[in-house]
Amino acid sequence: MSESNIQRPRFGLRSFRAKFVLVVGSAVLFDLLVTGGLALWNVQRLSRDATTEVGQGLQKANEDYMLTYAESTAARVDLLIGQVHADVATLAGVLQAQIDRPVRRSEIGEALTRQAPESVTVAYDPKGGWAQNLPGPLSSVSVWGYLLGPDHRPLPEVQTDIENSAVLDLVAPALLAHGRSKLQMYYVGPKERPILRMAPYANQAQTFDRLYPGHNEANFWNFFFPGLYQSWEGWAKDPSLRPVAADTTQTAPYTDAATGKLIVSFFQPLWTRDRKGVAGAAGTDITLDQLAEVVESVKVGGSGFGFLAMSDGNVLAINGVGEKVIGLQRSSETGSEGVTGLNRSLRQSVQPAIAQLPLGGDGAIQRVLLDEDGEKVPYLILLKQLEPENFWVSGPVRRETMSLGIVVPEREIYASLFAAQAGISEAANRILIYQALALLASLLFVITAVFGISKRVTRGISALAGAATRIEAKDYSVRVPISTRDEVGEAGIAFNRMAEEISYHTENLENLVTERTKQLEDANHQISALNTQLRSENLRLGAELAVARQIQMMVLPKAGELEEISEVEIAAYMRPADEVGGDYYDVLRDGERLKIGIGDVTGHGLESGVLMLMVQSVARALQEAGDMDPSQFLNRVNRAIYKNIVRTNTNKHLSLAFLDYDGARLTLSGQHEELIVVRNLGNVERIDTLDLGLPIGLEPDISPFVATRDISFGRGDMIVLHTDGVTEAENRNGELFGIERLCESARRCYGRSAEDVKTGIIDDLMAHIGTQKIHDDITLVVMRHR
Amino acid sequence: MEIKEDEYRVWLEDKDIYFDGSMRLPSTEAYAPIFSLVMSVLETDPDRMTIDLTGLRFLNSSGINLLAKLTIEARKRPNTQFTVRGSSEYPWQSKSLPNLKKLHRGVDLRLT
Repeated sequence: MSESNIQRPRFGLRSFRAKFVLVVGSAVLFDLLVTGGLALWNVQRLSRDATTEVGQGLQKANEDYMLTYAESTAARVDLLIGQVHADVATLAGVLQAQIDRPVRRSEIGEALTRQAPESVTVAYDPKGGWAQNLPGPLSSVSVWGYLLGPDHRPLPEVQTDIENSAVLDLVAPALLAHGRSKLQMYYVGPKERPILRMAPYANQAQTFDRLYPGHNEANFWNFFFPGLYQSWEGWAKDPSLRPVAADTTQTAPYTDAATGKLIVSFFQPLWTRDRKGVAGAAGTDITLDQLAEVVESVKVGGSGFGFLAMSDGNVLAINGVGEKVIGLQRSSETGSEGVTGLNRSLRQSVQPAIAQLPLGGDGAIQRVLLDEDGEKVPYLILLKQLEPENFWVSGPVRRETMSLGIVVPEREIYASLFAAQAGISEAANRILIYQALALLASLLFVITAVFGISKRVTRGISALAGAATRIEAKDYSVRVPISTRDEVGEAGIAFNRMAEEISYHTENLENLVTERTKQLEDANHQISALNTQLRSENLRLGAELAVARQIQMMVLPKAGELEEISEVEIAAYMRPADEVGGDYYDVLRDGERLKIGIGDVTGHGLESGVLMLMVQSVARALQEAGDMDPSQFLNRVNRAIYKNIVRTNTNKHLSLAFLDYDGARLTLSGQHEELIVVRNLGNVERIDTLDLGLPIGLEPDISPFVATRDISFGRGDMIVLHTDGVTEAENRNGELFGIERLCESARRCYGRSAEDVKTGIIDDLMAHIGTQKIHDDITLVVMRHR
Repeated sequence: MEIKEDEYRVWLEDKDIYFDGSMRLPSTEAYAPIFSLVMSVLETDPDRMTIDLTGLRFLNSSGINLLAKLTIEARKRPNTQFTVRGSSEYPWQSKSLPNLKKLHRGVDLRLT
């Protein structure tokens, strides 16, 4: 029969294999989940920590970068302005020197007049109503109509100024050629005669006519820079009125009359010799482009830009893209008075966040949301203040601190940060995915392996289970294949062996039963025969022992006999260890003479009992033979017994002692246990019999060893005789009853009747023995003098 | 040579026979192996032999009969110095051993 015939589900839910797979699978799954989970958790934490660390680092670096950038740009602007200041100051220095040294001034003036007459000679322009030198010299000088005489020639003091200011030709070209690129440098006379000399040469008066009609009728200072001159006059009186401790004054950007460009002018007032009044001013112009160039060159991130704003929010410089981003509206209005300026204020921005941007903070990064195509985009704005300036827009000079702004989209400034975070996140995600894949793969592998192995492991057990089921169905021919050498294989081998035995026994049961029955019958016959034999033997032995015992007990003195004794009260107790004992006691009475014997045959049983009978018979016979010396009596007993022992080939002897009492004397003879005498007041006396004889039956003649001893025995005295069964009785600790306990018991009982004493002593003895085995015959004889 | 039971032990060392424990064998016949053991020494007619009973706590009357028989056997061999060592610590020894001296005057009885 093959294994495949076994009708049994191989992979049911309750099968061993399912449990095996479940247990191993669960263990592995648990392990994988724990290690995998830990790994995932750690990776996530690592990525989070790394992101935070990198984020903080990069944010700081970015902010520092922005600040540094803003500072360096602000420094560049300050530097540019500073250079222009220096140029103006140089020119002003030369002109101030002219004013301060009038003699030298006129000498220089005259010299220049001689050298370059065209520089000091002006021609009247009837159309404009002003006079101006003709083109050619290094500078142009314009004299307004109100400075001309009726002959259309400059008034004399004006002409002097024209000549004196020609010094500009010496200084300005060099200043213009070096340092910061400047549009022009010029001298404007005091408000009494505000001629304008400008280098390089330009048709300035014509330009003024075109851009600023009416200028030729009004005073130059009041027309173009209302309030400026008055402020300087104030400074002359009290220098502390200067908003910033410097003379240089900067104007707001305006359209240059000469070039038509948006420019910024830098003035330095000139002082009268006494320093109490204003003596005109030196000035220079730079295009706004130059400032814008610095600001517009700002490039932070992809599309970051810079701007330069005044404290009122007016933006002086910004590139076109930036202008759109922060929502500036350009409005170039013609001012009601003065030079035409530029107005595109942050405050007018279409972006509410920009319109409300606080300008005070120096170096602080502000985050604003700017509207871009209907979307709010976060931007970072950093404002850096420039050096403060004396500033004129219109009216009195005031203090102005411009601010440099850096605007960067947050996503750009933090691009590296976001990139790093994205990188970390991506790496973490990649690790997570790999980890999860590895987890899945190992799980799949382990489950497959467990499933496969389980089949191998449980195959043997399944086979065993199937085979056992078939055995149960009484198919004893089944055997399991042994494919492995493990415990399952061993179980299979044992199973096959058992199956074989079951098969063998089942098939041979009948034969075996028949055979066994026959064997049993034979054995039964034998046992029955033996039993019968034993029973009859036992019966015979039992009968023999019963007879011997009966005879032995029969020869013991009867109670009636003892009671007849007038002077001595005697009580006796005998308890054989076996059916027939080896102890002996007797009370022989012949007239007034009493002979009390006590002895102990070695061993017990029938032989000992018979020997005891012999002793009794011999003693009785000798007693009846007449008065005899106790020693002689004992010798004769020994001779008789010795000979009988030799004849019967008995390996026994006995101790034997006699007490002879004739009413007055008590004589002790023979070797036995100690004799105990208790007298008045419980006085106990132990009498040793060792030297009074020798065991009977050992030697043919014991006469050399036999002796007698007289014992006083008066009224009330009590004698206790015993065999070694009393003193050698053991309690459960193996402790002997002993002669001392016997003496103590006898002393305690003293005074009672012989029978009571006997009972008292036996009670004490039995209490000592308890439930222990009694090894030897026990005999106790109590004699009490009446 | 040694005879050993739960309760007692009897063994031979050269010509000295030692008894130890407590002997309550039921009959003289039961003591036969011990008798044979002692006789095996005695029959070689040794100059001397010793029976050492100092470790024997108890001996019943059948055993005492054995000692008496052995003493009588020793008496038949006057050339052998027969020594019995005992201890008066045990009552049976002081009670029974002096008899051996009576059976055989040549016994060197040493009760300690």
